[in-house]
Amino acid sequence: MLKFLASLRLFFAVCLALAGAFVYQTLFNRGAPVYGAPWFAALGVLAAANIAACSLRRARTASAHFLLLHAGLVVIIAGAFVTRFFRFEAELPLRAGTLSDLAYSGGASYKLPFSVQLEDFRLEYYAEPLGRLAVLDEAGRREFDAEEGAVIKVPSARAEIKVLRLVRDFGLAAGNKVTEKSPYWHNPAAQLEITAGGKKQRLWFFSNFPGMHRGQLPFHIFYSLEQAEIKNFISKVTLIPGEGPKVCAEIAVNKPLKAGGYTLYQTSYDPADAGYSLLTVTRDRGVWVVYAGFTMLLMGVLLWLRK
Amino acid sequence: MAAQIICFNAAFGLCLAALAVHAAAYAFKRPRLGGAALPALGLAWLALTAGLAFLWVKLGRAPLSNQYESLLVMLWFVFPLSFYFYRKTGKAEIVPAAALAASALFGAAALLDRTARPLMPALRSDWLILHVLSSMAAYAAFALAAAAAAWALVKRRAEIFEDFLLRLARTGFAFLTLGIVTGSVWANTAWGAWWSWDPKETWSLLTWLAYAAALHLRKKGPLGAKFSVMLLLCFALVLFTYFGVNFLLSGMHSYA
Repeated sequence: MLKFLASLRLFFAVCLALAGAFVYQTLFNRGAPVYGAPWFAALGVLAAANIAACSLRRARTASAHFLLLHAGLVVIIAGAFVTRFFRFEAELPLRAGTLSDLAYSGGASYKLPFSVQLEDFRLEYYAEPLGRLAVLDEAGRREFDAEEGAVIKVPSARAEIKVLRLVRDFGLAAGNKVTEKSPYWHNPAAQLEITAGGKKQRLWFFSNFPGMHRGQLPFHIFYSLEQAEIKNFISKVTLIPGEGPKVCAEIAVNKPLKAGGYTLYQTSYDPADAGYSLLTVTRDRGVWVVYAGFTMLLMGVLLWLRK
Repeated sequence: MAAQIICFNAAFGLCLAALAVHAAAYAFKRPRLGGAALPALGLAWLALTAGLAFLWVKLGRAPLSNQYESLLVMLWFVFPLSFYFYRKTGKAEIVPAAALAASALFGAAALLDRTARPLMPALRSDWLILHVLSSMAAYAAFALAAAAAAWALVKRRAEIFEDFLLRLARTGFAFLTLGIVTGSVWANTAWGAWWSWDPKETWSLLTWLAYAAALHLRKKGPLGAKFSVMLLLCFALVLFTYFGVNFLLSGMHSYA
């Protein structure tokens, strides 16, 4: 039995089966992923048993690099099973100024052992975005810088466009007064005064909703932002544990926050709502087993190359 | 024309010249003629290095964020790997294999979109450099191994080349292992999961398994031409992982 488990034939068979599963899943499968199927888990067990048996059979005579490399792989597969069965992941939606300890996953909600308050959410840009206006009519498409006070002539339509006001995050206050909801470019808009066919109209154009006012004008106008490349999105939060002091921190992409065995990741935001941020909360003990396996594997590979 | 483009074009031209010199030496049976190929490749490497330095300065970051940039970095690794193995083994055929691999990769780079964009938030990490460099070093070693395997098969000298091919495949396998491991650790920091079965991850694992199987097959003894054919088949998987996954499958690596 050990001889069969440790055989190279079994290794090649497992490799072929895994390759077949990967090709099927990535190119053809439109249903539930094969990675969650019991037979796929069985393949993982078989792979680990094959590598472990091979290492055991040669334990007395094998070199250090062989043992480290193969034991590392077994530890990684073991860690993968710990992750598969015990990993917790849920989404934590937050609104600015409110406190939440409820995370959601697959329609169920989970009470976290701490509460999180979103103090502020902000987008960082590489450079200050530039507003651009595009006019499209029978004469073609022409683009102009959108600057407050600028007047754009459209001779083909005998029209004139005056840029009255630009806002970064369009909002309406009491009395339908236009205000900036936040200092960030969440809902950029331009108020234009358009004179065409003896008629003067004051209209708002939104970067996030490009199809507005199509029937009201003899031409199309689009307002958009250039160089609006986002550098990062950041949630400033206060974490309030059941016991112990509060923690104030910033969570950004590639900069998660670890607290009480959980890790909080910046996942998403709503471009049209400056006060919303979506975090992902995970708890995965398997990752440390996997990292131990990675360390053994890399040490084994390094020694193998030196051979 | 931008300085980096002039450098890249010069490097491409020098690689083609190295290939042409070797083809002429082979066709006219003048082995001495082939001696000019090595200095040409050396100059090509210098030109490529200068081009990448210009690009780095222009972008204000390491040129590793899209397929065009990463392919140039992969190309950069082809040269030192071929010089190292040429010096170590003394096999003259490594030079045309390097010229062939570099010319093909330069040709592929010319077809890619050169538009440089700022790094998206998920890529703004120190792990980017380690992950991409190790993956590209692996792909360069595999490209060189595939080119050498093709050369060996054409010249019917697969048996003589087998030890060299094995060392190249091992080098590539070690770098690919490092690339997958660093990618996994980075994914856990950026996305919250050390493995997500993203198509790029899955095909990288498939490529890793294929080379692992090839290296284990070789343990039974010399395989001759079969090993060269296997390395070519494995390299087809590398090409699909690097190009095919991006164009045919959507996933979290859609920028790479």
